[in-house]
Amino acid sequence: MNIRLARVEDLPGMQACNLQNLPENYTMKYYLYHALTWPQLSYVAEEDGKIVGYILAKMEEDVADGDEPHGHVTSISVLRSYRRLGLAKRLMIQSQEAMATVYKAAYVSLHVRKSNRAALGLYRDTLGFTVKDIEKGYYADGEDAYAMRLSLQHLAR
Amino acid sequence: MPPAGIPPSRALPLKESGLFKEVLHYYEDRQLKKGLKTADTILKKFPNHGETLCMKGLILTHMGRREEGLELVKQGIRYDLTSHICWHVFGLIQKGQKNYEEALKSYTQALKFDKDNINILRDAAHLQTQLRHYDALVETRHTLLRLRPQLRQNWIALAVAYTLIGNLTEAKHVLEQFERIVKNVPDYDVEMSEVLLYHVRILEDLGEDTEALALLDSSAKSRMIVDRVAIMEHRARILSKLGKPEAQEAWQGLLEQNPDCYDYYKGFLSNRGVDLDAITDENRAQALEIMNDFSEQFRRAAAPRRIALTVATGDKFKELFEPYLRSRLAKGIPSVFTDLKALYRDPSKRETIESVAHALLDSLTHAPDAPCPSSIDPTMYIWTLYFLAQHHSHLGRHDRALALLDTALTHTPTLPELYMFRGRVLKRAGDPYGAARWMDQARLLDLQDRFLNARCGKYRLRAGLIDEAGEVFGLFTKKDAPSPAQDLEDMQSLLYLTEEADAQLRIGNYAMALKKYVAIQKVFDDFEDDQFDFHGYSVRKFTINIYLNMLKWEDTLRSHPAYVHAAIGASRILVQLHDNPSLATKAASESHLSEAEKKAKKKAKKAEKKVQEESKKAGGNSTNEDKGLEATPPKDDDPDGMKLLQSSEPLERAAKLLKPLSSLAKDNIQAWIAIYDVAVRRNVLRTEKYLQALQALNQAHRLDADSPELHIRVVDFKRRWSSLSDSEKPSETVAKVVASSLPTLCPDEVSLEQFNAQYLQRYSARGDAVLAAAKASRLLGAPREEVEAAVFNALNADVVLDLETAVAIHAFLSEIQSSREDEFRAACKEKFPLSTLFAARSELLALRKSAVQKEAAEANEEKEEVVS
Repeated sequence: MNIRLARVEDLPGMQACNLQNLPENYTMKYYLYHALTWPQLSYVAEEDGKIVGYILAKMEEDVADGDEPHGHVTSISVLRSYRRLGLAKRLMIQSQEAMATVYKAAYVSLHVRKSNRAALGLYRDTLGFTVKDIEKGYYADGEDAYAMRLSLQHLAR
Repeated sequence: MPPAGIPPSRALPLKESGLFKEVLHYYEDRQLKKGLKTADTILKKFPNHGETLCMKGLILTHMGRREEGLELVKQGIRYDLTSHICWHVFGLIQKGQKNYEEALKSYTQALKFDKDNINILRDAAHLQTQLRHYDALVETRHTLLRLRPQLRQNWIALAVAYTLIGNLTEAKHVLEQFERIVKNVPDYDVEMSEVLLYHVRILEDLGEDTEALALLDSSAKSRMIVDRVAIMEHRARILSKLGKPEAQEAWQGLLEQNPDCYDYYKGFLSNRGVDLDAITDENRAQALEIMNDFSEQFRRAAAPRRIALTVATGDKFKELFEPYLRSRLAKGIPSVFTDLKALYRDPSKRETIESVAHALLDSLTHAPDAPCPSSIDPTMYIWTLYFLAQHHSHLGRHDRALALLDTALTHTPTLPELYMFRGRVLKRAGDPYGAARWMDQARLLDLQDRFLNARCGKYRLRAGLIDEAGEVFGLFTKKDAPSPAQDLEDMQSLLYLTEEADAQLRIGNYAMALKKYVAIQKVFDDFEDDQFDFHGYSVRKFTINIYLNMLKWEDTLRSHPAYVHAAIGASRILVQLHDNPSLATKAASESHLSEAEKKAKKKAKKAEKKVQEESKKAGGNSTNEDKGLEATPPKDDDPDGMKLLQSSEPLERAAKLLKPLSSLAKDNIQAWIAIYDVAVRRNVLRTEKYLQALQALNQAHRLDADSPELHIRVVDFKRRWSSLSDSEKPSETVAKVVASSLPTLCPDEVSLEQFNAQYLQRYSARGDAVLAAAKASRLLGAPREEVEAAVFNALNADVVLDLETAVAIHAFLSEIQSSREDEFRAACKEKFPLSTLFAARSELLALRKSAVQKEAAEANEEKEEVVS
């Protein structure tokens, strides 16, 4: 499996991967917006030219007073048939490195559906995120989200 | 007296002139109601004031009263043809309609009367980029820089324009000048960092590698470039190109950063003189040693081990492969087979894989009903069975694959992968109904997984169960969407649209198939429109390198397989409609709406009514809400696709869809066949038509001279051409071209019947060629019995007949209303024992039912799970 920075021509493959895996979907313009604003932060896992996993990431644009600059994972997923290879972790690590070095991100945040136990396990146990908050009715269908966080201080230089 | 230069019809008295300024302000602040009221005050006294009429039109457009607004704008322009405001407003509205060509014309008019207007210039630049008018873009960007040299983005935008026109030297000069004068760049400025990386790219593209490296190194050192990965990648590449010894260290550094990146291994090896894509016996050992070192260095990375498998041969391959397979099966990694599939191109590796995996299985096998002995790892046992099932299925051994899966399922009945793959084997063996049933069982094992859900939906579509597919898709689509299908379309799911279109086509619902293919075309139109906002955005953000990549991507967008497939699929339907226009009316009269379509139709009607009511309400100007200049997509007023099917000029529509393929899919023979089918029927100038058709045949011939589909078209072309009377023949030049190039496709000295017989003789062992020859002889007027007899030869033992061709032959027999259809079907049932594709019509209902049969209890449970 090849892990590398996402290119513009990967975006349709990322979109297709997202639509197969997750209930939160986006139109191409949103993918373009990520790639053209933070071209260093999104990565893909690829096999024979097919996108089998991706991380779509950004920097938080409205940093509240007193808060530090931080990254945000808009979406991350790996096709079911490509699980157990540690792809999500590898993708996440590359993106986090870039958040810390290019943008001086102090931490990275993400949201996860309260009911999505599998994803929660991945973020907490495999990737080291902790639950920071519960955001009521975060999703379009009214479901709550866990707001999770991971410090990037260890990557600061 | 009005001031000099202002025409009397535009001049307003002091009071109204003040009001007009207010209108402009209100518009800027989107206080639409006030703006409208003020405009009306002016118009009461000066009903023919062009600029006010245009502003009122613009405001109405923003309020959602688009037609009325456009009328006013047009009227306003007529009263004042030399006002930049009028033309600017018109341009804005056209831009909102995505009519970029016309919008640019209006902006050009506006600039005639106000040549230094920054806003108009900037919008014009975006339009010029969208339309790829790069010469004009350079001019516009120059003007903007001259007017506002203090704005950084104007410098970068000019450099970009030069880059796009291919004048990299000028682009470089602009950047150099910019970097000299730019002041007060904060530390760690990402924007400046991006500009410098853009500069490095220009130098590299100019071939000035030494300069590129110098700029890169100095900027990295001064921390002006902050993107560490980009620095390292550029450095490694440039150092390699320059043959510098530091290159190796640079690649090593990248690998330490990301040991899963194939490009870096390739770069490292290439720097050592080893081309990973063309390993030779001379450098094989060296490459393996390097990969071995990396496997030790990066213990957790899979890439070096996997690359070694590609490089190694013979015993070495076996030695490396055994532990590779064993460790992955022990971990229960589902993708081992797809990971290894590429190695199957080498038959000796394929054999090694099979023998190693079987030996492993033998070591794990135990009595199927007894509990797993403690010496045996049950995970490994299951995944080895799974792997071998994939292996045998890949090689077409369906029975063997099914047997392995059944053993695995007896052992572990809870693993969705096993069910999924059993479905896949059945699909390959030609049983879409069984496939759908097994995929559904996989889905039921993990209802939270959208992947399983999507697969199940896809398989239902493959089995023609369109409503049932919608039901499962709907478990994950947005609940407030008009329908699951609409949500998937809005979310631009090319996968879904393609599957649904193909499914509709298979069941003969041309209207819906065409509708979905056209929906795919629209997705790509949207992708193309999406770039517009970035023409301004990216120069403000300074992310130029990726912006340039995006423009390139946009230019080749329609090479995407989904577009190519949709264009060809739609064009086939449109050609059929041309040949047989009654298809459209027939479809309408027996319109067999499915339940979902009926629902959609009802919903559409309701929505239409609602829109009408709302627009009536809007007539009262009760709202200040800005609806923007972009027209909201119209509600679906054609839920069953009938309007689309019946719209006129099918061939012109097909030609338009296919147009991008001649440059973007020029290695796709199906594309050229489709282009031929449309060209030869089109009613354009006869000279063009025959040349276009012939060119398509030549291109197809270049790709595959033996192609059965091409053979049919060559016969078709020659038959059409030689039947032309002298008066019908196009010009002499065309005749000459045809005379000189047709013999390459079909020799002059033989008759078409002979030509066809020769083709059949040459490829008598190919089922698809047998079918093609039969179709050609049908074209040449052979009697039905003869054609039938010919096509039955495909069943002979020495003929290679795959499922797809067998299905095509069946369809052909039914098309020519053969009396031997049932006979052929029966023979195929025997030849493809697992397949249900040759079932009698009377059996279909039961098959369809069996594909979605599930216990009522399960169905209830499913609902609860999803709700909770």
